[in-house]
Amino acid sequence: MASRDFQQRLQKALQNPSLRGALERFADSYVVSREQVFAGRDFQALRERIAAIKADAAGRYEELAREFARQVTERGGKVFFASSAAAARDYILKVAQEHRVTEIVKSKSFATEEIHLNEHLEGHGIRCFETDLAEWILQLMPGERPSHMVMPAIHLPKEEVARVFSNYLGEPVEPDIKNMVRIARRELRERFLRAGLGISGANIAVAETGTVIICTNEGNGRLATTVPPVHIAVFGYEKLVPRMMDVVPILEALPRSGTAQPITSYVTMITGPVPVERDGREGPKEFHVVLLDNGRLKMAADPVFKEALQCIRCAACTNVCPVFQLVSGQVYGFIYSGGIGSILTAFFNSLADAADPQSLCIGCRRCAEVCPAHVNIPDLVLRLRERVVKEQGLPLSYRAALRGVVAHPGRMYTLVKAASRLQGPLSRGQPFIRRLPFFDNFTRGRSLPALAREPLRDRARRLAPPPERPRLRAAFYSGCVIDFMYPEIGEAIFALLREAGAEIVFPAGQGCCGAPASYAGDPDTTLHLARLNIASLEGAGADVVVTACPTCAVALKYDYPRLLGRDEVWSRRAQSLAAKVKDFTELVGELGPLPRLQGEAEAAVKVTYHDSCHYKRHLHLDQVAREVLREQAGVELVEMAESERCCGFGGSYTLKYPEISRALLERKLRRIQETGAKVVATDCPGCLIQLRGGLDQKGSPIRVMHTAEVLYRAGFKAERVE
Amino acid sequence: MGSSDLLTTFCRQAEAMGAQTLCVAEGEKAADRIIASMRPLGSRVALVASPLVEEIGLEEALAGAEFEVEKEGRDFARHADIGIVEFDLGIAETGTLVHDATDLKKRLASMLPLHCVALLRSGKVVPDMAEALSFYLKSGQWPGYLAMVTGPSRTADIERSLTIGVHGPEGLLIVLLG
Repeated sequence: MASRDFQQRLQKALQNPSLRGALERFADSYVVSREQVFAGRDFQALRERIAAIKADAAGRYEELAREFARQVTERGGKVFFASSAAAARDYILKVAQEHRVTEIVKSKSFATEEIHLNEHLEGHGIRCFETDLAEWILQLMPGERPSHMVMPAIHLPKEEVARVFSNYLGEPVEPDIKNMVRIARRELRERFLRAGLGISGANIAVAETGTVIICTNEGNGRLATTVPPVHIAVFGYEKLVPRMMDVVPILEALPRSGTAQPITSYVTMITGPVPVERDGREGPKEFHVVLLDNGRLKMAADPVFKEALQCIRCAACTNVCPVFQLVSGQVYGFIYSGGIGSILTAFFNSLADAADPQSLCIGCRRCAEVCPAHVNIPDLVLRLRERVVKEQGLPLSYRAALRGVVAHPGRMYTLVKAASRLQGPLSRGQPFIRRLPFFDNFTRGRSLPALAREPLRDRARRLAPPPERPRLRAAFYSGCVIDFMYPEIGEAIFALLREAGAEIVFPAGQGCCGAPASYAGDPDTTLHLARLNIASLEGAGADVVVTACPTCAVALKYDYPRLLGRDEVWSRRAQSLAAKVKDFTELVGELGPLPRLQGEAEAAVKVTYHDSCHYKRHLHLDQVAREVLREQAGVELVEMAESERCCGFGGSYTLKYPEISRALLERKLRRIQETGAKVVATDCPGCLIQLRGGLDQKGSPIRVMHTAEVLYRAGFKAERVE
Repeated sequence: MGSSDLLTTFCRQAEAMGAQTLCVAEGEKAADRIIASMRPLGSRVALVASPLVEEIGLEEALAGAEFEVEKEGRDFARHADIGIVEFDLGIAETGTLVHDATDLKKRLASMLPLHCVALLRSGKVVPDMAEALSFYLKSGQWPGYLAMVTGPSRTADIERSLTIGVHGPEGLLIVLLG
């Protein structure tokens, strides 16, 4: 369970409307402007190039560091290899003390935040001034945390900034942004001119030439490295690239991804010491580089997490993260926020420190789409979760549910059957449980689905016999939600495929796909279920294995081969199954329009489509589903805004972070209602639970259906979709 | 892209990024046109000597027009209203100016005053960043301080409201010559 501090920060953030408003407004406009600034560019090719450059560099940091240091030293600069945060702090303090420095100007640097440099220097009587406007404002507000990696003060309204400036100057300051920027210019200009030392970070460091590259918009990077007589650049090994030309794709992607700018106002490339004014005369500057390890070399040697070192710190991932927009960087607790931040924190701090931040990822995969360094952040977060669980163990309730029940299909069946009989007082014969005693947080804003009286596996036995000469033999893999909650989806699929001339069977012995265990960081349970399901589905001797749940499909297609990859025999069996897996709607698209039994459909019903995250971003079937629906008589497809935004389900996420889940759901419901559609179609039973539950609590007449149900009602039964 | 297309793209992009551009044709009195644009910006000028400055006789023209010109010395550019610096290259794709700013005066004059007048030979516009970096890679030792400047200094740190003129100039006038 999340720590108290973390829970408190989370509640505080969720109850801060100005924070949320600012982040959401930014995020909405970011999506549009990012698209514009990348228009006409081959984003895929660009990110492949960056990934290749950075992955190559991560494979040989020590060699690149030696070359970089040789170049800097030849020019007369000094390079210090800091193995830890403490080593870096001590070195910087020593340089400052040697020069009797009392004031330092800093240009934004993550690395110095990571090593808590300011506190250390202040402890020795040296004052540090942040010169990035937002950083400076935050510095004037003790206890305030940055809310965003690129725009740390995005959560502060101008009135708040005016109050901070008034306190600082001891005179009233109007909340006029232009004027406040002038004040900052005037005040900080004095600091630049007086400081004995300038400290910067780096966006890129080039080994070939020994060059440090800094991107800023305000120009503080240029002044901090031009005016003071001593400059220390502090950055991690992951900034190293081999050659100067390697910076081209990175500089193309970084500002476009970060703030949707084609380039920052200033791109500054510093190579060795350059002339500086000292006591009224021009002389050479003293130039130091502190190259920070602090867990990076260990990360580079890690076959899984090395990939995260490709990150170029643009924050595009957090800009599109629906959870980040609600909670902000203030909640994560460490300098690097968002999903990528939790991975970096695990190595730069500790695995324990990453436990809470990583748990915020709902796995919607939006970040993976926009990452310009092609880092598969959501998968890495899952791998991180596995390590956290390995170290800390599963919470008892999870352990009991996953290993005691979900891992055993027979036990699960018996338990669910019993529960379906006992739920009467809660569901009152309705398909929903609208209120849970003692756990009302889970049912606030969202009804829970009642369990079906008879699971699909029992009903399947009675369903119609196969056609005489089937076009193909299909095995249905139902997954838990269709089996136990929505067996009518399975029935629709059986009926539709049989009508299309296919034989379809429900292989006995199949169980949960293991996704709940995977998302809880328990791959062992998934592995156990993988073997069980492979054996069950092989037994059916089918041409295709049909799924109607994208989470299950991803487990069968991708997770099983990966988890069983080391076992020669099982690996082959997993791959051969994976090759047969096909989503139902995808199969319908291939079989062609389904025959219709009787009559003409009545006037078309407005249907809008909700993209489920795994369906769109893992299976890439979003357009296929739309084509199938468009071809269906009786259906008029209307698009909803933000159709690809997560509905907030995420399995156990709804239980772990009900407030976040609910906020995501609320936004989705607004978008649905705006369309005027009478039906929402989706291809994910998980989204069905969430959307149906949300609309039920609103008392909305809008129906939510699996695409299979829409096809079944509109085409096969020639009934009105409603 | 031909050289006139490059120039057009460069100007369009630079303006889009908030710079002003002034194209001076061959044969025109460059210094006079620059001075006319500088009048409203102030009278104290930090001027960095360069071949182009020499060629158009800018220093004499400024003195004749009663500007207060400093070229070096203690506190150079600290109290000037305008800094005048020649740049090496322009990048068409992003409207970016590039110069080897190892010389301290170039950095100070282009950063400290509220306005910067950037001089650039119009034949020195290259298509993109890769071309610009190749230019310096080919020209021998890599510069100690290579600076790229695109538009004025800017921030959106308060309420994401774009505000120009933070630590660097709030006005950038790019003068393209001949």
